[in-house]
Amino acid sequence: MNDSEISSRSWWALEWRLAAIQNGMRDAIAYRLEFLLEIVGSAAVPVILQLVLWYSIFKTSGATQFAGMTYQELISYTWMTLLFSQIRGGDLDFSLIEMIRTGTLNNYLLRPVGVIQFIYMRGLGERILIVTLCLGLGILSTAFSSVSPFQLILGMLLALVGNVIAFMIGAALSSVAFYWENAFAALMVKNMIVSLLSGELLPLTLIPHQYSWIWKATPFYLFVFGPTQVALGKWSASEWAVQMGIGLAWIIGLSLVIKLLWGISMKRYQGLGG
Amino acid sequence: MNSPVISVKDIKRNFRSVKKKDGFKGTLELLFKPEYVIHEAVKGVSFEIEAGAFVGLIGANGAGKTTLLKILSGLIPPTSGEATVLGFTPFERSIEYRKQISLVMGQKAQLWWDLPAIEAFDLLRALYQIPVEVYKKRIDELTTLLDVTKLLNTQIRRLSLGERMKMEVIGAILHLPKVIFLDEPTIGLDVLAAQKLRHFLKTHNQKEGATIILTSHNMDDISELCRRILLIKEGSLIYDGDPKNLTNQDECQLKVQLLSTPSLQTIATALGVSVQNISIEEEDPTAYRIVLDRKNLTSTFQTLLQHFSVADIGIQEPSLERVIQRIYQQ
Repeated sequence: MNDSEISSRSWWALEWRLAAIQNGMRDAIAYRLEFLLEIVGSAAVPVILQLVLWYSIFKTSGATQFAGMTYQELISYTWMTLLFSQIRGGDLDFSLIEMIRTGTLNNYLLRPVGVIQFIYMRGLGERILIVTLCLGLGILSTAFSSVSPFQLILGMLLALVGNVIAFMIGAALSSVAFYWENAFAALMVKNMIVSLLSGELLPLTLIPHQYSWIWKATPFYLFVFGPTQVALGKWSASEWAVQMGIGLAWIIGLSLVIKLLWGISMKRYQGLGG
Repeated sequence: MNSPVISVKDIKRNFRSVKKKDGFKGTLELLFKPEYVIHEAVKGVSFEIEAGAFVGLIGANGAGKTTLLKILSGLIPPTSGEATVLGFTPFERSIEYRKQISLVMGQKAQLWWDLPAIEAFDLLRALYQIPVEVYKKRIDELTTLLDVTKLLNTQIRRLSLGERMKMEVIGAILHLPKVIFLDEPTIGLDVLAAQKLRHFLKTHNQKEGATIILTSHNMDDISELCRRILLIKEGSLIYDGDPKNLTNQDECQLKVQLLSTPSLQTIATALGVSVQNISIEEEDPTAYRIVLDRKNLTSTFQTLLQHFSVADIGIQEPSLERVIQRIYQQ
């Protein structure tokens, strides 16, 4: 392969990904009100739950600290989890199992690019809009809190790595749908575990120190808890770099797992319908 | 014959599904001891197709046509046998292979439902590395030919079925694939829309030299477009050749106008044929159509003149639709 071919391939690799992201963005905002309601709706319940919980704990027990944080810090924690859980979120893995079950995966399989990447890139379009929104709100909020915009951006970057990992875990689990025709329950169980071990519902510092290996052994803490710790200044820049490295190692490992699982499972695909 | 671009050797494809039984006991059995059934969708089919051919793949519902197209497009693997398309093994799904083929499924939207067609085409342009200038020119040509230029910015879900199918076809041929698989592209289209799409496909096949395999239940599609048909019945290939040869075989059809209105049974008894071979024209109760063996033509003429008052009589070649219908029923 000569230099111009390499350059042409590299440009194409970038071009189709950008086009897929742009296409996904447009798809996401085809119904603007629905898009906004989805964000607000999915954020409201866990946030209200947490605020009520913190208020009850501090007001009834008279405690000054909980999970190693003051009342004010817990409010900041909740606000940050609200932002970062939106970045982690998305239901691309549920879309994937539906595509496998109904045969609409055909549309992606026929295209001359990697199917998982193609689906992720389209989903990323929507996520970028949400990240932008969250980043804007987050930076705005730094004016009223001790969080620095720089720390917030570092947290966002870690949350984006978490988003990739979240999708990859979903994509790996989705391969079950090739055998069971559905993997809804598997993904629901995964989401419940993620809610608990990502720090989305409760700070992971609540878990006794001797059991902290449980959440550290999974990548879920990189979705919300890790970025929140970075944004709140609990983790230093060097700790952030280490966690980014851990995140990238998970991505490499998961991409191998996906390649293996999908390579085997695709033989079971029936491409129903038509 | 040119060297084949599609070669299929003894392809078989089975599907396994759970057998569901009625009632509560059946539900419990399904939960704890599911019983599986194997359905043979394709049973040892072999054929070759040369470059630039327009081939009709026909058969009743469930005959295995779509399964065969899915195998050839690389969506599913065959259970056994070998298939090569453009020198590639489809299920290896190489990028180079996918760049050179296309599949349109009439019953399944492939463009994104909530986006206008132009947004989908823009993405396809990037996926298939079509230079921007070439793309613009091609979009202009194709949309003009199919009369959908004004609809490019309309959401796909807001288009009529015919308009959507035209957009699907444009999306499928935008990158000028060498092999195009069309699965019932005219399904649900009105006469004019179907005619326009047929004309477009014919022109594209002639102009670009693309090899096209078309499945359709509309025999107008087949007779107008295909110089060769592959007839599939219950997963097996039972005819491979020119559609004209099917209609020119031993059967022909008489159209008889009588001065009276005898029952079908009376005519069948007089002619010594099955009553299923005789029908009455919907708009004229004195006009009958009789399907018979060509060798019995003279004797049938004589019998009709002897037993009935004949006003008019004529021979009609059986339509492809009628021939196919009889094959399905056998």
